[in-house]
Amino acid sequence: MEGKITKTYNKVSPEILEQLRSVVGDRRIQFGEAVNPVYSHDEMPIYGKYFPEVVCEAESTEEVAAIMKICSENNIPVTPRGAGTGLVGGCVPLYGGVVLSTSRMNKILSYDMNNLVVHIQPGVLLCDLAADAIAHGLMYPPDPGEKTATVGGNVSTNAGGMRAVKYGVTRDYVLAMTVVLPSGEVIKLGKTVCKTSSGYSLLHLMIGSEGTLGIITELTLKLIPKPAYDISFIVPFKTVEECIAAVPEIKLANLDPQSIEFFDADIVEMSSRFTGEPIFPVNMDGTAVAASLLVTLVGDSQEALMPQIRQLGQVAAGAGAMDVLVVDTAERKKAVWAARSSFLTAIEAQTRFLDEMDVVVPVDKIAKFLIFVRSAGAETGITIRNFGHAGDGNLHIYACADDPDEAEFHRRAKIVMDKSYAKCTEFQGQVSGEHAIGHAKKEYLRESVGDTVFNLMVQIKKVFDPLMILNPGKVCTNLEEAE
Amino acid sequence: MLKILVCVKQIPDVDLVKMDPETGNLVRDGVPSLMNPLDTNALEAALQIKERFGGTLTAITMGPPAAAEVLRESISVGADEGVLVSGRAFGGADTLSTSYSIAKAAEMSGPYDLIFAGKETLDGATGQMASQLAERFDCSQISCCTEIESIENGVVRAKRQLDSGVQTVEAKLPCLITVEKAGFIPRLPRLNSWLQSKNAPITVLDENSIAGLDTQLIGVPGSGTIVPKIYPPQLPEPGQILNEGSMNATVNKLVELLEERGVL
Repeated sequence: MEGKITKTYNKVSPEILEQLRSVVGDRRIQFGEAVNPVYSHDEMPIYGKYFPEVVCEAESTEEVAAIMKICSENNIPVTPRGAGTGLVGGCVPLYGGVVLSTSRMNKILSYDMNNLVVHIQPGVLLCDLAADAIAHGLMYPPDPGEKTATVGGNVSTNAGGMRAVKYGVTRDYVLAMTVVLPSGEVIKLGKTVCKTSSGYSLLHLMIGSEGTLGIITELTLKLIPKPAYDISFIVPFKTVEECIAAVPEIKLANLDPQSIEFFDADIVEMSSRFTGEPIFPVNMDGTAVAASLLVTLVGDSQEALMPQIRQLGQVAAGAGAMDVLVVDTAERKKAVWAARSSFLTAIEAQTRFLDEMDVVVPVDKIAKFLIFVRSAGAETGITIRNFGHAGDGNLHIYACADDPDEAEFHRRAKIVMDKSYAKCTEFQGQVSGEHAIGHAKKEYLRESVGDTVFNLMVQIKKVFDPLMILNPGKVCTNLEEAE
Repeated sequence: MLKILVCVKQIPDVDLVKMDPETGNLVRDGVPSLMNPLDTNALEAALQIKERFGGTLTAITMGPPAAAEVLRESISVGADEGVLVSGRAFGGADTLSTSYSIAKAAEMSGPYDLIFAGKETLDGATGQMASQLAERFDCSQISCCTEIESIENGVVRAKRQLDSGVQTVEAKLPCLITVEKAGFIPRLPRLNSWLQSKNAPITVLDENSIAGLDTQLIGVPGSGTIVPKIYPPQLPEPGQILNEGSMNATVNKLVELLEERGVL
């Protein structure tokens, strides 16, 4: 079968270890039993733990290039890793070898205020970039929920987040990058310009490639002026269907919201238990809330936004909302967004086992899809928790159970996942909106895109990485290790 | 019908206020204002009482004209009216003269059966206002309240959270109550009330419009304390976090540093 490649890697010998040590020094290398177990998994250890033989923490493009050259010459697999906050096993070293951590490449190098761009190293954390941009009067629009991810990781997965409905995703903000190819050669892709019609966009091929084609070592990102004012609204509904049906209404009303987030009553209760701050309504005037939207508007001032705010009230009433709650003060915003950001952690804390999917479906299919997944879960004894970016149809769905036995959970979760991904494909959706494929979702990707497209991906991988040493076994490559 | 008063204060976002190291003045330029967080819990408690037992709720504050914003915020969640005590003569007040001014202003629309207040403000942090107000109003006081069980025959019965446990107490009305956060998570305003609050009339009282006000007891002349100097605390030398990649390397580095400083 195309994509199945037989491959044998060398082990890291004492000589190779010395070569690596000569690049990063004693303090930024871990090997053998000294390897911190954290490098064996990401935030979904349920997809398996795999230990690297060596961890190298690079601090520069030159060091990354030197490490790649050594590994390429010695047939050692290399798995790039940022903060390890991924959810699909993308940074997990399936075949051992070297984990190349970029987390120490965490410098914001410079701002170009004339062109509204920032140059950074890939290990800068999203929260640090966001805060630093704000301090410069600017905003980095992508806003994925995991704020302690590295920006390099965000680029590698083309992360989206809560503001994507207005501003687009990470891809839309990457202007240029420096990349180390698997051979160790350094290339630069893109320029600090707003348009290009200059051949195949390898820049955009690199974005979302999950560290399988090259290692990003520098990024030039587009920023925008910071909006002067933002205000959010919680819009509760009696049914999930009404809640989701309100989303296109809000979009059609030309309110240009910065985000339209969706969450149901279950997740609100879990989050309240977890944070001890019940900020989202579960009951309005004695009637249970089934699901809510969290809508954020931005503008020059509260006064300037008043027409849109009134219109949102009218649209919500027309769509059957139970009311509209205002999140206007700094304290309220802090409480609401802290609760929103705690959803995944709240689920993790209250579930023994969980599996996740991050599909995107057309907005008008969200409610049908959620109902389907819930029913598939119920048939299999799996509890479904979900929330997501309703404005763009990207849903985070968690299959949860407190099985005594992990294997039994896997068996039952797989039944739900298989059915749900098939339904997603039927609805013309995508396997992943922002968490990517890693090694956990490869088969679903193949089923979704079909053999021809999948095999084109394999061919592209071979062009960049003929030796198959960079992040092997991810996205589209299935390796069979020769004995 | 209970007459309920809630005392609120507008403060600068203390996380963002910096002190000018030369002058000791607080730099408030561009720092957003907010309702003192503990007052939002007092307001929530007052709203719950109004809903359970019926009554009218008045929010009162003292400050510059912009402080009307916290009264509108109170109205947006369910207060019936707002009273702003404002005027140059009130400037420079400490808690003694502030409690006098607030109490005299509240007499104009009182008497009140229940008065709610935050237990302290995050900017002043004296924690004196509530008790001084209880004295000024000549009423009983319940502090550290986590739950108001009943109000019957002019007696309020409430639970107090103490270090040693939970105490149930009764107090005669009128009574001033300060609350703990946990039992009174502030609600969010509903859009219609929020929109209406933007244009809600606010009663503004200056030193000339408060009946029987002794101007010698307000502002600086009425203050029992003076603040001769404000200065930032001496910051201790920042610590150093060692991370040399591995445990062994980190321990080696620690030993090296300790030896360097003659500790080992």
